[in-house]
Amino acid sequence: MTGLKLEATKRTPAIDLDTTRGRLVLMGESYPEDVAGFYAPLTSALNTYLENGANALATEIKLTYFNSSSARALRDLLEQLDSAAARGTAISVDWFCDPDDDITQEFAKDIAANISHANVSIQDLDAT
Amino acid sequence: MELDRFFNVSQSLLRDKFVLGYSGHVSEDILQEVGNKLRERLENHACNSAQSRNVFSIFVELMQNIIRYGVDGPKIGPKFEPDFDPIPDPKGDRRDGKNPLFEDVPPFGIIMVSESDGMMSVIAGNYIATDEGETHMLADKVAMLQSKTPQDLREMYRAQLRNTPDKKSKGASLGLIEIARKSTLPIACEMTPMPDGLTFFTIKATV
Repeated sequence: MTGLKLEATKRTPAIDLDTTRGRLVLMGESYPEDVAGFYAPLTSALNTYLENGANALATEIKLTYFNSSSARALRDLLEQLDSAAARGTAISVDWFCDPDDDITQEFAKDIAANISHANVSIQDLDAT
Repeated sequence: MELDRFFNVSQSLLRDKFVLGYSGHVSEDILQEVGNKLRERLENHACNSAQSRNVFSIFVELMQNIIRYGVDGPKIGPKFEPDFDPIPDPKGDRRDGKNPLFEDVPPFGIIMVSESDGMMSVIAGNYIATDEGETHMLADKVAMLQSKTPQDLREMYRAQLRNTPDKKSKGASLGLIEIARKSTLPIACEMTPMPDGLTFFTIKATV
């Protein structure tokens, strides 16, 4: 199984796709210079995993800041997960936001608004 | 600059508590460097973490708008010779390609963060190539955002998020909506016609 592990930088989050445990974590800040280029390896690693009989994926998003272009990339990520969920993979997304950061919580809810098959839950960052 | 003009500039800057300013060619590297410095300064200047967060994200969106839409300034003085590689543009989508004069020269911009009575304003200015249609469209868009309630802005954000960004916008026009959502006061902009087919665009957000 091929996963993906990227260290965080100042402008990009740490990404850990652990395909043996069925777990994906995004943690840090996201305002890359080239958003499409940064998220492409994740899209393709997820595709490989989800298209090859994955049963489940538990996703955690812990982004303290993301810019407007990253918001689109996150929407695409959730849509990718949602279509796998529609085909029967058990997908959960725990999206952790700073409880004091109302706007980012709204962004997370707005980005997740059209997700119908995956189980998305917006939670307080401090709760972990 | 003569000392008396400098004195006038300094007095108008010092009237509001000056947090940070940058003027010159803008690239992703500059965004990174100036952004890091801004975060350090916000620790001392911002009233709370929400203000600091919103100022920083408005700064990022404004700088990225300059990088995407801005052009070099009027051709006065010695021609600008970049001492670094021009902005990488692998997909060729950062410029509209309408004015070959501006190709491969990083856009010129100015950005200022200042504080007054607990409010922080972020003002950015940059040259854009004058194009009647697009210049008006940008001004109209800012004017339209000014009249929206937070709930309207949220709905626009949701709708825009569902759309694929239109080719002309060269990026998420989510950026402007995000700036408007994070600005406590309505955002404001001005377009000033300049020589050489340029317009100087200024935009202000207040948190």
